[in-house]
Amino acid sequence: MLPIIRFDQVSVTTHEKTILSDISFALFVGEKAVLCGKSGSGKSSVLRTLLGLHPLKSGMVYFQEQPLTPESVQFIRSCTAYIGQEPILGAENVREALLLPFQFKAHRDHRPTQAQLLEVLQRLQLPEDILNRDSSRISGGEKQRIALARGLLLGKKLYLLDEVTSALDAESKRVVFDVFSDPQLTVLSVAHDPEWLERCGIVYELEAGRLTQVRRNGNS
Amino acid sequence: METLDIKLPQMALLYGLCLLPWLLLWLIGLRLSRDIGIGILRMSIQLALVGIYLKALFDLNNPWLNGLWILVMLLVADLSILRRAGLKARYFVLATFVAIAFSIVLSTAYLVVLVIQPPHFYDARYIVPLAGMILGNCLQGNVIALERFYSALRKNENEYTTFLMLGASRWEAVRPYFREAIKAAINPTIAGMATMGLVSLPGMMTGQILGGSEPWLAVKYQIAIMICIFTSSTVASIINLKLSLTIAFNAFDVLREEVIKKP
Repeated sequence: MLPIIRFDQVSVTTHEKTILSDISFALFVGEKAVLCGKSGSGKSSVLRTLLGLHPLKSGMVYFQEQPLTPESVQFIRSCTAYIGQEPILGAENVREALLLPFQFKAHRDHRPTQAQLLEVLQRLQLPEDILNRDSSRISGGEKQRIALARGLLLGKKLYLLDEVTSALDAESKRVVFDVFSDPQLTVLSVAHDPEWLERCGIVYELEAGRLTQVRRNGNS
Repeated sequence: METLDIKLPQMALLYGLCLLPWLLLWLIGLRLSRDIGIGILRMSIQLALVGIYLKALFDLNNPWLNGLWILVMLLVADLSILRRAGLKARYFVLATFVAIAFSIVLSTAYLVVLVIQPPHFYDARYIVPLAGMILGNCLQGNVIALERFYSALRKNENEYTTFLMLGASRWEAVRPYFREAIKAAINPTIAGMATMGLVSLPGMMTGQILGGSEPWLAVKYQIAIMICIFTSSTVASIINLKLSLTIAFNAFDVLREEVIKKP
């Protein structure tokens, strides 16, 4: 089986400062991995580099064994859902936020039906009436679940989660864990939460932009 | 009807009027003598030089010289737009030049060749002041368009990136900021047209009336110039912003920090 993500001796510098140096790892379909380390150790930069947001200084990033290039970046982005600490909904209300990506040419022909919208809300244990709620009246944890719902509606298979668990209460966390128990979904996350770390099969330890340790939990 | 000349002694008398505001400012404790002096002196010297230049331009009325004058105005406007919009000229000088040159030449030629139809289309008396007025207003619009767009993009970097991650192309992701910037750029012109003549008499019309034109003629020229200003501002801002999109981003659709001037 081929890896879905592979970093091969990747180094990244921004503003003449090295943020990642000589990072190599591979992640296979269905694996759940977490990056941990002190703040500033480069965890989020790994996620952003995969999405083409930081130019590579050396090495190469592969997605489904295709190198990350200006030509392939849109495909990589279209297969990937990135969810940050405070996701941006980008629309007036929740329904528009969920339908936002379907305005773009890449997804225009896959607009979900009302039934599909309701199904995904239910899966994330969000109430139906949230659809008409104003985006300004949505909490951080709800925003993350809506961003996740958007990823599911788009049929994304790879989820990059940046400190997602910090805004979630115990109940929401369980819902998120359940969603990602799907063996089709691959997760690369950044987290400190011990419960999350325990759930992830692979733990990457980062220190000052270097990958210092890889731990595999028993269940992987 | 000739406009009455202002002779030298009367000109001196005119400067004397400045003594009144100068005295009042001095009385309320504002010591602005130096600034006022420099302001008046600079205005006088600069306008005298323009007077000499325009006089020569009109006397010679050479199509190449007129064209050169417009080219110089375009270059100065180009650099001024980029400086005021906070963008580095090194990257955008050509894009801005193409945008303003195209729109100014288009609207001035339309006005002069098709509408006014002077005996010689290159007549300095028509193309120099008209192109200058259109360009001056076009400059404002382009500064607003570029400045608004790039500051909105930097302020909403996370939102822009979110759009990209949701499958938007670069154009789809910048479109909301693009529309807002163009709206801000052309709104003053639209609002200006809507209140024209109510709040104040437009400068060009006043000038023509003083120059001895019939009010009706002055009105028609004012309408003509406003339509050209509106057209060229809109066309230039859209072309300029569109061209800048091909320069300001890297191949991965990320805004290149080096193209923006550090404040």
